Amino acid sequence: MTTGAVRLEQVTKRYGALAAVNSVDLEIEAGALLLMAGANGAGKSTLLRILAGLIRPTQGRVLVNGQPPHSSLESRAEIGLLSHKNLLYDTLTARENLLFCGRLYGLEDRRETAEAALANVGMSARADTPVGTLSRGMKQRLALARATLHRPGLLLLDEPFEGLDRRASQALSQRLTDLRARRETTVVVVTHRVDEVVDLVDRVAVLERGRLCCDSAWRGGSLEELQALCDSHLQGV
Amino acid sequence: MIKGVVAILWKDLRVEWRSRERLGPMVVFVFLIILVFNFSFELGGSALHEIGPGVLWSAFVFAGLFGLNHTFATELDNNCLDALMLAPVSHSSLYLAKMLGNLLFLLVVELLSLPFFCLFFNLSPGLYLVPLVAVLTLGASCLASVGTLFAAMSSNSRLREFLLPLLVLPMIYPALIWAVKATAIVFEHSRPSTTGAFWPGSLTEPVSFLLVYSIVFTTLALMLFDQVLED
Repeated sequence: MTTGAVRLEQVTKRYGALAAVNSVDLEIEAGALLLMAGANGAGKSTLLRILAGLIRPTQGRVLVNGQPPHSSLESRAEIGLLSHKNLLYDTLTARENLLFCGRLYGLEDRRETAEAALANVGMSARADTPVGTLSRGMKQRLALARATLHRPGLLLLDEPFEGLDRRASQALSQRLTDLRARRETTVVVVTHRVDEVVDLVDRVAVLERGRLCCDSAWRGGSLEELQALCDSHLQGV
Repeated sequence: MIKGVVAILWKDLRVEWRSRERLGPMVVFVFLIILVFNFSFELGGSALHEIGPGVLWSAFVFAGLFGLNHTFATELDNNCLDALMLAPVSHSSLYLAKMLGNLLFLLVVELLSLPFFCLFFNLSPGLYLVPLVAVLTLGASCLASVGTLFAAMSSNSRLREFLLPLLVLPMIYPALIWAVKATAIVFEHSRPSTTGAFWPGSLTEPVSFLLVYSIVFTTLALMLFDQVLED
């Protein structure tokens, strides 16, 4: 069953007088891949954290599969997040980090799932290495394995290509291609490396100073066209 | 809920086993405080009954504050707290796991430092010390229940090392008074002149207070923890 349909209604997040996210209405159909663009400080990461249920909006409503992610455990179990930071424990090994994640999500076959996830990101050989000693790219690959370990219905990726070498970037793009082909996971990607996702995007949303200034379907096209769409709303920022 | 508590607690113990950032310094800190008091006051004999309980609890509370400051430190390193908040486990599970972890660390510190205290304060071992286990456990659980909540509150502050004692000490003060009183009763019972019941009757009141304090503050913390994490 395809899960992960997202609905935002008039979502606003204020920090004092500053509105980091301002009256955002957005609906993402299950199985779609949304590219969220915007200049630095436009509110992309805040919106991603609101979608993840990590921040409660000041106003408005967020629904993932019809439930607010902040208060619903079922809804939270459907979300995977790859954040700016890797959300990994430096003193634990790669395998231990994934096993802990598996326990938190109540996975029955967590050992097998963890081993498969390590193999998927090419980290089996470093499974018993403490995360603190891994390179940045390896940590990013492991963070992706952690984010997708429980097969989330909604995958939120904040700059997923950062720190990855060309091979790892291609592997991640391939992973996203597979997810899109199966239409089992709704994906929201925040990235400046538009070239990595140009063939995968279904929709583009552009934020400008917290406001959603563009929300349009992407029917395919060249990298230049997609880049132009992302940039067209950023003039004067 | 229990699965979440066990998973987080197990992870915390494993992280501590690897890093040894908390337990070692806490034990050394208690040893040093006992040592300083011992040499400052040339303690022994009657001094045990007068200032011994105060020395013991001062050492435990200050070492405890050091440990409490590290409660959420590992969660902040790579934003791991986000991963915990994102997981389908209730925030109460997170509080309980952290609280139990702190309690466990405090009990280990107490267990390791008690023989050292007995040695320096001329306290001969005996069955009368058994009620002390109840007093130490309840005192530690009071400190852990209040301290874990305030550790979460202060974890995002740059001044957390300063802020935590400022928040915890006034709140723990009533429990500390009763813990010292209860410990004094146990030590008084160790005098050769005192004979009688295994559990001194006068011990029931302070122990009951510690129990009620621990239950009330754990319940309050469970109710408030969600709000604290959000802020």
